[in-house]
Amino acid sequence: MSDPGQILLILALVFGFYMAWNIGANDVANAFGTSIGSGAITYKQALVLAAIFEFSAALLVGGQVADTIKGNIVHPWVFQNDPQQFAVGMLAALLGASVWLNIATFLGQPVSTTHAIIGAVVGFGIVSAHGMDAIQWHKMGRIAASWFVSPVLGGLLSSALYFAVRKFVLRHATPSRRASQSLPFAWGGVVFVMSFSILEGLLPRMLGTGTPHLRLLNIAISLLAATGMGLISRKRARKYAVPSGTDLDSQYKQVEARFGRLQVLTACFMAFAHGSNDVANAIGPIAAILQAIKGTIAVKTAVPVWVLAFGGFGIVIGLATYGYKVMAAVGSKITEVTPIRGFCAEFATATTVLASSLLGLPISTTFVLVGAVMGIGMARGFGAIDLSVVKRIFLSWLVTIPCSAALGALLYGILRHILM
Amino acid sequence: MRSLNKLFGESPFPHLVEHVRKIHQCVKLIRPITDAIIAGDMNLLRTLQDDMSRTEYEADQIKDSIRQNLPKRFFLPVNRSDILKFTRQLDRMADDAEDFAVVSTFRKLELDPELRAEFLLLVSKVTEVSETLLAVAEDLSHLQMESFEGSETDRVLTKINQVCHMEWETDKISRRCARRYYSTPGIDPVTIILLEKLCKALTGIADHAENVGKNLRLMIVRR
Repeated sequence: MSDPGQILLILALVFGFYMAWNIGANDVANAFGTSIGSGAITYKQALVLAAIFEFSAALLVGGQVADTIKGNIVHPWVFQNDPQQFAVGMLAALLGASVWLNIATFLGQPVSTTHAIIGAVVGFGIVSAHGMDAIQWHKMGRIAASWFVSPVLGGLLSSALYFAVRKFVLRHATPSRRASQSLPFAWGGVVFVMSFSILEGLLPRMLGTGTPHLRLLNIAISLLAATGMGLISRKRARKYAVPSGTDLDSQYKQVEARFGRLQVLTACFMAFAHGSNDVANAIGPIAAILQAIKGTIAVKTAVPVWVLAFGGFGIVIGLATYGYKVMAAVGSKITEVTPIRGFCAEFATATTVLASSLLGLPISTTFVLVGAVMGIGMARGFGAIDLSVVKRIFLSWLVTIPCSAALGALLYGILRHILM
Repeated sequence: MRSLNKLFGESPFPHLVEHVRKIHQCVKLIRPITDAIIAGDMNLLRTLQDDMSRTEYEADQIKDSIRQNLPKRFFLPVNRSDILKFTRQLDRMADDAEDFAVVSTFRKLELDPELRAEFLLLVSKVTEVSETLLAVAEDLSHLQMESFEGSETDRVLTKINQVCHMEWETDKISRRCARRYYSTPGIDPVTIILLEKLCKALTGIADHAENVGKNLRLMIVRR
């Protein structure tokens, strides 16, 4: 390891930590906002749960998306003869994304860390010696497509869920009894998706990637866990039996309260999904630099566990030092979201984000959540959704890509002169 | 990204309920005004008319604030124009109630007992229409929370039908009333004109209440 290599690594760790801190400080709040807003959990509980689940998600499932940022945007092998250029570029990207995030926050614009880092990586790739050829455009296309598809998918899922709950539970003459029948499936469903994605990261590490039928084993275990959860929920449902003839109003209240308990779990699920996707924005470049200075740039290697943990740690610190304030502010304002709506939005978002994480697609959790909220709005679920905010989020995304790309390119030019 | 909390605008539905409540306050004043007409208390009538215009003014303010808080950028669970029509119809109810109060101050009216009874019946029917409408509207905010899909929706739709039915009854009573004052021998022609104006205001209130109900039904069954 050469001396400049070590300097690069230290700088990468510093800025990577800053990125992770940013994610923890600003983004986690949205993941938990609806659960806090509906009163399912207090923000102090949210803080603890978020820390646990963000960290474990980063550790267990964070690798896939980090791989994408590290190796699927620019061609690592075109830098094979000059790995230091690649390392400097990744540092520039990290720096550029951080600078852009700060500018955006200063201007009060909602910006996604995902879009910022991808833009910056593309930016440095384009101005590197290899120009346009340095970018893997077909993979970039897949990522860009996922940015459109993921909010739509989140919206479709959430409105389907909301329709189902409405039709099966609320529209019925005895909502309370119907809730007792359907809640076990909801609990089981959440547990299944969560267990599946945790094991998807855990099993290969425990049993070795070569083990046959790994996925089958995963599905079996997850189904078992889901069934267990469903049975527990069914048993507990007896407690909530109401005498026939109980007025609808109090039945609705009871059903909402029961969904509120489920929302504790979906909030954790959200944090898990968020951590699994967003930690890569901070550690993807670090992992890339690490590989570059080891000279193993073109080899596909897994992201070291300590790097994943480092990212998770950064997020938790961001959450603890600043994120709690944002969380309290967001939660206290989202009162429109009742537990049923919150459950539908969170379950849809978390599932979409987790699926993307497992596919290695870096997407914006907030984008998907906005899509899910819109989906419920389409199902007449909200009093008023401010479309100008949706438009603003969309616009700041469009602006982020070229701006962070330009910043990544510019900083790359500067850093190359200083460090090489 | 912190703007998620701004994603939700202020829901117009609680304000709609507030508007209906204020309108009902106007309509409720009609009964004491009628009592004062029968008693021939012109001073009291003028005071009541002041009450009426104040209440009507307050209702107007609610209406304006609903309209101002309904920007096009809001994505609503009901048709925007349905909400606007809803408030417009409510506004007309208050206008008619105010007309009634104003006409009552023009001149002292002498009514024979039979006409009096008929007239009182009409007044109580109109008040009843407005009361039922208020009951429907109070459910509106609730219905919105259940996305207009809860099993209470059917109950509300039935109540709306009741409002429509009551409007029809009001019409019948007012026709009976008209036959009575036109056929009363020796009645002062000016009294007839004033009575006609009063009855027209009353049937107007019921008419607009029916429209509000129909509008509400549109809001509920489609977006």
